[in-house]
Amino acid sequence: MSISIAEGHCYHCGLPNLEGDKFPVVINGVEHHMCCPGCHAVSSAIIANGLENYYEFRTEPAARGDSALDNTMAKLAVYDEPELQEEFVIFDGSEKQIQLTVEGITCAACGWLIEKQLAKLEGVRQISVNVSARRAMLTWDESKINLSSILQRLKHIGYESLPFQPDEHEASYKREEKSFIKKLGLAGLMTMQVMMLAMGQYFDVFGNIDNEIAGYFNAISLLLTTPVVLFSGSVFYISALKAIQARTVNMDVPVTIAIFATYIAGVLAVNKDAGEVYFESICMFVFFLLIGRYLEHRSRHKATEISSNMLKLIPATALKWKDNEWVSVLAKQLATNERVLVKAGESVPIDGNVVAGTTAINESMLTGEFEPVTKGVGDHVYAGTLNKQSSIEIEVTNSLKFAMMNQILRLQEVAISHKPKAAVMADNFSRYFVSAVLVISACTYLFWSINGNEEAFWITISVLVATCPCALGLATPSALTCAMAKLNKLGVLLKRADALEQINKATDIVFDKTGTLTQGEFSIQKVEYFQSESDSLDKASIDALAYALEQRSEHPIAKAFTPPIELKETNVNINVESFKIVIGKGLIATVDGLDCVIGSRKFVHSQINVEQEETQRDNGNVLFAVDGKVVSEYWITDTVQPDAPELIRKLDDFTLSILSGDDIGNVKKIANALSIDNFYGNKTPDGKLHHIQQQQAEGKSLIMLGDGINDAPVLAASDISIAVGNASDLAKNAADVVLLNPKLNAVIELIEVAQQTKTKIRQNIGWAISYNLLVLPFAMIGWLTPWQAALGMSLSSVIVVYNSTRLMR
Amino acid sequence: MSIIFVLIPLAVIIVALAIGIFFWAVKNNQFEDLDRQGYSILYDDDVDEKHKHRPIDDDNHQ
Repeated sequence: MSISIAEGHCYHCGLPNLEGDKFPVVINGVEHHMCCPGCHAVSSAIIANGLENYYEFRTEPAARGDSALDNTMAKLAVYDEPELQEEFVIFDGSEKQIQLTVEGITCAACGWLIEKQLAKLEGVRQISVNVSARRAMLTWDESKINLSSILQRLKHIGYESLPFQPDEHEASYKREEKSFIKKLGLAGLMTMQVMMLAMGQYFDVFGNIDNEIAGYFNAISLLLTTPVVLFSGSVFYISALKAIQARTVNMDVPVTIAIFATYIAGVLAVNKDAGEVYFESICMFVFFLLIGRYLEHRSRHKATEISSNMLKLIPATALKWKDNEWVSVLAKQLATNERVLVKAGESVPIDGNVVAGTTAINESMLTGEFEPVTKGVGDHVYAGTLNKQSSIEIEVTNSLKFAMMNQILRLQEVAISHKPKAAVMADNFSRYFVSAVLVISACTYLFWSINGNEEAFWITISVLVATCPCALGLATPSALTCAMAKLNKLGVLLKRADALEQINKATDIVFDKTGTLTQGEFSIQKVEYFQSESDSLDKASIDALAYALEQRSEHPIAKAFTPPIELKETNVNINVESFKIVIGKGLIATVDGLDCVIGSRKFVHSQINVEQEETQRDNGNVLFAVDGKVVSEYWITDTVQPDAPELIRKLDDFTLSILSGDDIGNVKKIANALSIDNFYGNKTPDGKLHHIQQQQAEGKSLIMLGDGINDAPVLAASDISIAVGNASDLAKNAADVVLLNPKLNAVIELIEVAQQTKTKIRQNIGWAISYNLLVLPFAMIGWLTPWQAALGMSLSSVIVVYNSTRLMR
Repeated sequence: MSIIFVLIPLAVIIVALAIGIFFWAVKNNQFEDLDRQGYSILYDDDVDEKHKHRPIDDDNHQ
């Protein structure tokens, strides 16, 4: 049952292992290699707790371990705050209970692993994991253990879990789901019983059945059928009634007529001890129709479940100046004009103006771009952005409710309400179909009664049953359910089942740049060295010097400088003195008596007093000068995702474009590298939204791929939105489709499955309609008895369902 | 044939019982997670003697 991981891949997460044998773990006596410190730590924790059987049981590889383990640990402590727990913890005096969404559950063995691991903790009363919903219900004793240590323990074995509140719709969906299962189960069990009795009569297996026994059988059948008609079938009558109240007809109207007419005729026949009964047909009819409805409901329920997992509670805390000291409070309790301390490395809890200190702030969550923005006294900072450099004090200008972050959220909500809706063509079609069926049935009844046929009533029932659009009703939901299951296996979550239909209509694909097409990490694309014979510095020494300087900087560009391989063999002894950072510009330092300056072109030129030369060539964005002379020039850009070129090549049927908040020059570079013709830069979240809406107004149907918070409004507005792996929660929340793996190739699979699904739906509908049309004449001339009609209808439904399940292969 | 007058009502009673149990199961969330519980029986909780639990010390390396 355990899966096998190919050689050269991480034993824990199954992704390619580029680190060789750097991270070994001994599992069940065999040494396996992991791809990263994160997987190594998680795997070691699993082994240390004696849970190595997980690797035997699992049917899917685990999610990749998070290497930033310690960083998140401290943040979990927030969940122990009583004010916060009020919102989502149920407390009954001695025990507390909470619902968690758990990220990283890939197969049933994960549920086993979590339960085993937590059950060992003292103070944990009960833990039950729901694998299909990716959730857990936890009951614990607050006096023995606190919530953060439980979450911490889960994090150790590789599962990120956070408290959340289920969606409002979800509770009602859940109730409906239970009532569906009950109705379906009842109908199924009863169908078996009634069928047994009926088959005995039809095929004379008991030999000659005398009238007394036949009457007895019918009475028992009536008894068994009654709950099916009254309880299981109620779904159809309610829906039919609603349709009639709205002065229209739907598929449930003929269904209701057929069920009640057959049932009442049956009751009369049993009382008079004469005439025919078709109880088994009623049961079978209700049972098969219910399967269709249930599948449809389930695919919708699944979709809400997934989207409500995204509603995690991630509370922000802040340090507030109160009574001459900094106290920790919840960000939502802050009021305007209060002073808040934001330490380096923390996110800004609230919108405000800087009153003390200077720092660099990463606003990528709002703008999508990774280059930090310098903020000094008087500058405005936004909630949710990240303080990269040094502590600052801010004065609150807006309470959290009106923070920038929440404005984006509101923008997103508005965008969702304007989203183009999938056409409801099927509904229109079925209205005409149903009207036709009702007219034909009425004509059939009139014709045969005028001609004095005693069977007129049963012929009409046969017509109603034979033309029942049951298979037609199953055609779409069964195909969508199967496609969703298949995509789930491929690591693609669909939040709306009808998204698949819309994918086929899409004409354009719009990409966000940073984080979607690129990795959001800088790397050196090209270096040019300027040397003369007299220079004491060779290339390796220049590299070593540049690395030594950049190593001390927190700027994301600095990370592009990697340690030179032959560091030891260079003739410079690296000894950095009088190191100075000029925020947003560059670095100055003295290294071994050499005056070094590294930074932006403008900054370096001004430092070494060189006039900016005007050239036409494509300049590098970072210069390095030693002793007043430029020694090297670097072209540093964001790295393109390794699978992006392949994705772009395979999507040549669509019009592709890039929509980014970054500088147009950078966007152009990436667009050229990937040969995408249309690109738009310098777009704010609002600007992106306008762009999308303009395109939609021109009649285009858009698929949007994005990752950041700034993409959330556009994702909500586009016809189909895809949040790529590692996307922010807000983006995932806004998207229709969420990719679970950080691989872009899943988009191609998604489009393929969407096309297959479309073909399947067409085949299903084609079959269902032609079957109905084919049997209609036979039913009308009275060759078909109701039980044959019901059997045929059931077979037709089974064929449709079987055809759909072929999608899962 | 008169035996069926006893057997069939008996069958009806058993079916009623089955439906009762089924409704109870639905009410108690037995159908919540169909992906998981099917595997439970295959998971063996005992680890072989030779790699028996080491003491858990992960509170120290956080």
